[in-house]
Amino acid sequence: MIHFKNVTKVYPPNTHALRDVDFHVAPGEFVSIVGQSGTGKTTLIKVLIAEERPTKGRIIVGGWDITNIPARHVPILRRQIGVVFQDYKLLPRKTVEENVAFALQVAGEPMEKINKIVPQVLKIVGLEEKHERFPDQLSGGEQQRVSIARALSHRPKILVADEPTGNLDAINTREIIDLLMKINELGTTILLVSHNREVVNALKKRVVTIDNGQIVADQERGKYIL
Amino acid sequence: MFILSFTRILRFAFQSFLRNIWLSLVTVTIIVLTVFSLTTLILINVVTEQAVTAVKDRVDISLYFEAGAKEEQVTLIRNQIEKMSHVVAVNYVSADSALELFKQTHSGDELIQEALKEIETNPLGPVLTVKADDLKNYPIILKSIQDFKIDEITKEIDYDDHQLIIERIESVSAKIKQIGLILSIVFALISLLVVLNTIRMGIYVHRDEISIMKLVGASNWFIRGPFLVESVMYALLGCLVFWILFFIGLNFLAPSVHSFFADIKFNLVDYLLHNFFYIFGFELLAIIFLNLISTLIAMGKHLRV
Repeated sequence: MIHFKNVTKVYPPNTHALRDVDFHVAPGEFVSIVGQSGTGKTTLIKVLIAEERPTKGRIIVGGWDITNIPARHVPILRRQIGVVFQDYKLLPRKTVEENVAFALQVAGEPMEKINKIVPQVLKIVGLEEKHERFPDQLSGGEQQRVSIARALSHRPKILVADEPTGNLDAINTREIIDLLMKINELGTTILLVSHNREVVNALKKRVVTIDNGQIVADQERGKYIL
Repeated sequence: MFILSFTRILRFAFQSFLRNIWLSLVTVTIIVLTVFSLTTLILINVVTEQAVTAVKDRVDISLYFEAGAKEEQVTLIRNQIEKMSHVVAVNYVSADSALELFKQTHSGDELIQEALKEIETNPLGPVLTVKADDLKNYPIILKSIQDFKIDEITKEIDYDDHQLIIERIESVSAKIKQIGLILSIVFALISLLVVLNTIRMGIYVHRDEISIMKLVGASNWFIRGPFLVESVMYALLGCLVFWILFFIGLNFLAPSVHSFFADIKFNLVDYLLHNFFYIFGFELLAIIFLNLISTLIAMGKHLRV
């Protein structure tokens, strides 16, 4: 599903964010990318969603070489990779369902499709009852669930979660991780970027450890080792 | 799909316009001033052209024949003049018509009327007026007519080229045009900067939406579209507001404007009504062009996916 082939990313003048990163994620896998702050986890996400271009190496997503993807194809890639961030990135003046619908509107989807998909994804994340609320009327965990619902609206094959529990307490963290597990069980490949030791250890899934831009460990049922 | 996306782009553009309403109004005001200077420049051009044409229309060569000149002689000369190159018209006024015209012109002057009665005969001879295709050709035609050696039957060959008046109109209008052009450039630059600033502000206000749009896979043109539409909206509104204000003003000032241009027989209102869509279209396209340049500069790399 995702193939990083010896990917290096250098920021001028000479900062190596990624060094020769080489790994493969199979369809339907749940992979945690762990590492301390500033080790290159976010850069890895950025090159995966074509926000940055790798300096060296190749990236293949679903058989599609996106290493030097032209700008006009970037939106197509991003509709296939749902992304969730630590700060939720919700629009405060829009309701829960409007936030989710917005992702479909800007992609040019027709209203009939939007009206069909939005309740479905809100049901998956358990927010169908709160669809008319604004983000500031929700807890942190609920806001993150809206963000996940929005990421799922394009029915992506891959869901990337960049520190999704970074702003949450233990209970909400558990809920979000359970939700990600549920989405994974429905067939979506999950890439969880985290430096939360407890979360990663509790998952008992594959763990790729990055340190100083390099993969230092890749374990099938791994633990947070740094 | 296209219509749907375009409708959404329009909606986002309207939202952006309304969310920064004061900034939008300032932008429209600057565009109104730019359109004002452009329109002034266009109208100065038109009025100058009309004034010069009016003066040029008065230029002709008049051949005043002696009272006793025979009609056949005059007709012969007329035919010869008509055959000359650069001559576009030769008007013949018979002695009787000349007298009738003279009487009409001086109908209020009793002394002249009495004098004509006293003379009993027609003291006026026939007149030929010659029109050339271009001002510069009159001296050539005049020279050819003088070569006919018709002094015996002509009283006077009159030619006033009004060159001084034409030159003065053209020099004054050239100066006004220069000032108008400088003003237009200044206003165009100001509106370019103001639109640039407004669009940048719009991008700043919408930075969250833009980052989410990029994240969820909106195309480049879907992200840029609202800002481009917004800049076209400013141009359209600026032009419309100016012309509405202009016609309201013209409605009040129409009598004064009419009398101001009476000498050159130019009806500004008629001219504007006939040419409104050309002028409006030209100005709208020019402002849209300017605004799109500002918008593209303002968007720069900020809106790249």
